[in-house]
Amino acid sequence: MHITHRTEGDVQILTLHGRFDAYEAPQLLGWFNRMLPEGEPRMVVNLGEVPFIDTSGLAALVSGMKQCRQRRGDLRLCCFQQPVRIILELTRMNRAFELFEAEVEAINTPWGQHEHHVR
Amino acid sequence: MSECDTLHLDMPASLRYLNVVSASIAAFLERCGTPVDHTTIYNTQLAVQEACTNIVRHAYAENAAGRISVCLTLLRMPPRLRVELSDTGRPFDPCAVELPDLDEVQIGGYGLFLIQSLMDEVSYDFQPGCNRLCMVKRLTSDE
Repeated sequence: MHITHRTEGDVQILTLHGRFDAYEAPQLLGWFNRMLPEGEPRMVVNLGEVPFIDTSGLAALVSGMKQCRQRRGDLRLCCFQQPVRIILELTRMNRAFELFEAEVEAINTPWGQHEHHVR
Repeated sequence: MSECDTLHLDMPASLRYLNVVSASIAAFLERCGTPVDHTTIYNTQLAVQEACTNIVRHAYAENAAGRISVCLTLLRMPPRLRVELSDTGRPFDPCAVELPDLDEVQIGGYGLFLIQSLMDEVSYDFQPGCNRLCMVKRLTSDE
């Protein structure tokens, strides 16, 4: 897997390319630890090119979301393929994340605050 | 069932090679002689991936040189795939682990829940020196 990053306004967009599993998850965790912007991070993670994700990949996304929300920002997911949707629904993470079909929608929908409790 | 319908893999217990197991499952099912839909293949890959990850992280937590034996067997009437994972690490019964509270958003702890949700049968057996996890998935084309 590799990660590409770009910025639109105050929104950081990460696009993940390839299999996102237990071996690859530390790469995204490392990105969050090193690169998460100051202030209230607004992140969009585009999963359109992720054909496979396991619970370690999911955990990395939850960790990123948690870090963003602790700083009054958020992490949104967009463009997921059907397998990604399956794992989100089975774990009910589809209720924890803000999910968008299109990246432009994820970027431009007004950003609110979340009070989700994350263990 | 014949020996022709069984595939054995012996792999290092490393997260690095889990993609090989997934690819093997897909390739095996592609030639199994019965149409299998993508969701069934994916769900099987995901469950096996989670089980192997648990072996690497828990059974072999203190043994980086451990190995995982994977045995894929095609069963007939009705068509099913049996996946048997064996390791020689610390005994770890995935069936005895408490399932996550899905009303809470938590960072981890979903792997075993997914295995039990995605596979039709899950059983665990420990003999001295060998853990064996057996999972069975019905092969359908209309899920």
